[in-house]
Amino acid sequence: MMKMTPKAIFIGSLIILAAVVFVVVYMPWSTMDDTPSEIFRSRSKIEAQGRKLYKANGCVYCHSQSIRTIDWGLGAHRIAQSGDYVEDRPILLGSARTGPDLSQQGGEHPDDWHMAHFFNPRFTSPYSIMPTFSFLGMDNITLLTHYIQSLGLKEADVRMERQRYWKQKAIEAYESGPEENIKWLHNHVPQPWRELPNPYPTSEAGLARGHKVYQDFCAGCHSPIGDGMGPAQPWIYPPPFNFTILKDREISGGILYYQIMNGITGTAMPYFKKHLESEKIWEVGNFVAVYFINQSDANTEPRGIDASWEP
Amino acid sequence: MNDKPKTGLFAYPTAAIFCLTSIFWMMIATFLGLLGATLLIAPDLTEGIGWLTFGRVRPAHVNLVLFGFVTPGLLAAAFYYIPKLLRTDLFSEKLGILSAGVWNLMLVAAMVTLLAGQTQAREYAELIWSVDMMVILSFILVIINFVLTVKHRKEPILFVSVWYAGAAVVLTATTFALGNVVWRPDSGALTGIPDAILLWFYGHNIFGLLLTPLSIGVAYYVVPKVCKAPLYSHTLSLVGFWSLIVVYTHIGTHHLLQVPVPTWLKVISIVDSVAMVIPVSVFLINIWYTAKSKLGEIHADIGGKFVFTGTIMYFFVSIQGSIMALPQVQRVTHFNNWVVGHAHIGVLGFSGMITLGGLYYILPRITGRPIYSRLLADFQYWLVLIGVTGFAIVLTVVGLIQGNSWLNGETVHRIIPQIHLYYVIRAALGLMIFTGAVIGMYNFVRTLFYNPEETS
Ligand code: HEC
Ligand code: HEC
Ligand code: HEM
Repeated sequence: MMKMTPKAIFIGSLIILAAVVFVVVYMPWSTMDDTPSEIFRSRSKIEAQGRKLYKANGCVYCHSQSIRTIDWGLGAHRIAQSGDYVEDRPILLGSARTGPDLSQQGGEHPDDWHMAHFFNPRFTSPYSIMPTFSFLGMDNITLLTHYIQSLGLKEADVRMERQRYWKQKAIEAYESGPEENIKWLHNHVPQPWRELPNPYPTSEAGLARGHKVYQDFCAGCHSPIGDGMGPAQPWIYPPPFNFTILKDREISGGILYYQIMNGITGTAMPYFKKHLESEKIWEVGNFVAVYFINQSDANTEPRGIDASWEP
Repeated sequence: MNDKPKTGLFAYPTAAIFCLTSIFWMMIATFLGLLGATLLIAPDLTEGIGWLTFGRVRPAHVNLVLFGFVTPGLLAAAFYYIPKLLRTDLFSEKLGILSAGVWNLMLVAAMVTLLAGQTQAREYAELIWSVDMMVILSFILVIINFVLTVKHRKEPILFVSVWYAGAAVVLTATTFALGNVVWRPDSGALTGIPDAILLWFYGHNIFGLLLTPLSIGVAYYVVPKVCKAPLYSHTLSLVGFWSLIVVYTHIGTHHLLQVPVPTWLKVISIVDSVAMVIPVSVFLINIWYTAKSKLGEIHADIGGKFVFTGTIMYFFVSIQGSIMALPQVQRVTHFNNWVVGHAHIGVLGFSGMITLGGLYYILPRITGRPIYSRLLADFQYWLVLIGVTGFAIVLTVVGLIQGNSWLNGETVHRIIPQIHLYYVIRAALGLMIFTGAVIGMYNFVRTLFYNPEETS
């Protein structure tokens, strides 16, 4: 029988530990390829300062920065590669998704959306359980936003370019008055969508579903009465759309659907195609049409063959 | 055994101070946990107070549970059983008191820095460099005391608890310095994927080389004592010890199965996570056979009761852990509350229960007075047991909802409103656990200082 002397215990276990460290820490460290991936670029100074705030405020406990193979089903476009992280010290992979993954967050939203969201996440996302970061102050929130907008590196840069381009256009349109703005907004909806009425009839259940979706996802900006004066409004420019002005302005179910599905890049209006299934998009659109615009084209011609469930 | 009746508050000052340290920080740490759970249902509660934002409360909670409640509590027991088992006195009570003092300073520094947002943002390695140094110093002081006590022992044979306690402090001091990359005071980190590999090598060893061996050490001491029976098998102790050191240390990559780390490393971690059944079952067989047909004795001793419950939790957490290391399972369980459930079964159900058991076992023996109230102790037992079991159930359910919904293509955003109710239940269970901590604190303070049944 082995004799457990103090020496055997201490020296024995330290030798085992050293061998383990050699194999499972040192070997991967020294053999891993650290070539940057095709999307890699270094962070700017401002982005690096924002990253410090990300660390200091524990964003890492709720957000991963690690897109997995199995996330394709969630609409992810690119899975993480080791070359994405080559300058990350420390690496901030995260271990929980209380909130969504942020690896490719840069350019998903314009800056004004982030300002409102950091100030109080419930402004833009009423269901959110993310903390408010108003205590950081405007300057720090700006730094943090710079960092978030860099997530995804070169791919984020492409998206940010697009956001800036359309932001300018959207502001021009907004500043030339409601008539022009509506025209501008609707001109970018492809023609077939503009002519498309909501193919489904208005129903009580459908409106109730639309109402729920509206409260969860829209009310923070467009407000509970649809006039665009939700709590996020002061932060957002062009400000959230006031639905009540759409009456008799050639609005259609198709336009509403398209705008909700696709969002309006450059404005704070997010796209909802990942969050909401088709049915829910039709229904929140119809909720807006019935209650705020006071004009719904639901189930009018042309509507094709009625779906089997329709009453 | 040398049982010269050494009792009274000042006969074991080191053990007594570590005891109070543990029960005090249990209260603080579980309060922070409760606060974090509450913030997940009422996120605007601490609006405008940076110190109490979720992202700072959470690491403060975790670090204080690990280094404030569990580790000092298990060390308190070790400071009692090591001299007892070696039939000698602790090498130096003065050094022991000093180490407890440094330890508490370190905890205050840890809490203040983390809540102030001073962090290196690596899970379980958040503490900034200066606090890291205080942790290492604390461990070194403890190691010196243990080693010199062993050196001056009158009992030539080292009982298995001594192996575990000694190995735990020495190996943890080493892996702590390594995992915190102390040679880079600024970042405390490597760069890129290797940083994640090192971090989880270390993080996993906080459970594997600190909590587990210290807890096992206490169980190996308390269970035979309470049962008044010899340990079932010396051979099993040996196999269990060495297989723990060999296997537990190299499977940390099972935290990174969905990350681009080398495949061979993942394979090693998966295969040997399953192999963890060896050290685990060897220990459990040894302990449970020792306790065979002695459950009445265990039930009668409040310390024994806590410890034995901890061994049952060890069974569950380890089986669960081996299953969670399978990639197919992790498709569902990773990144969500399932893992948080597992963490609580491990750290609170297994290590925390054994910590409380160790404390309740030594408390009357170092003071020479009975526990102030057995009723309150039992009440605390049930609060913690129901709390942690409830956590396991609720968080597992939430985890399954989250994981399966995501695989089903529903975004994180969509699931948040759905899990609200479970978060409410979780916070309620957290309140039970916190209440248990407060009751424990009261019971300990009464036992130590205001016990009407003073016998001395
Ligand atoms: C308590 C957990 C929690 C913490 C801490 C937290 N978040 Fe969030 N975060 C969420 C949740 C939940 C959402 C999803 C709902 C929403 O949009 O607010 C979210 C959403 C986001 C989004 C929008 C993602 C998207 O898909 O639209 C960004 C950007 C973000 N968080 C950044 C941060 C930053 C930066 C920090 C740290 C300063 C942080 N979060 C801290 C939980 C958290
Ligand atoms: C973060 C704020 C925000 C949220 C949340 C939001 N929107 Fe918008 N929405 C806007 C902004 C800003 C505009 C564009 C205003 C402009 O350019 O004049 C807009 C525009 C629109 C339009 C275009 C109107 C048109 O005639 O082209 C529709 C429709 C719309 N939103 C519906 C919704 C719905 C439905 C939801 C919830 C599912 C929602 N929005 C959520 C900010 C938001
Ligand atoms: C056979 C034994 C065990 C195995 C194989 C095991 C396995 C695992 C795995 C695979 C994970 C990662 C889950 C994921 O991120 O998807 C994990 C997490 C964790 N385990 Fe265990 N476990 C075991 C025992 C324990 C014990 C005894 C404890 C506590 C004393 C513990 C504490 C934790 C904690 C705290 C985490 C969470 C880490 C984080 O923050 O992400 N485990 N375990």
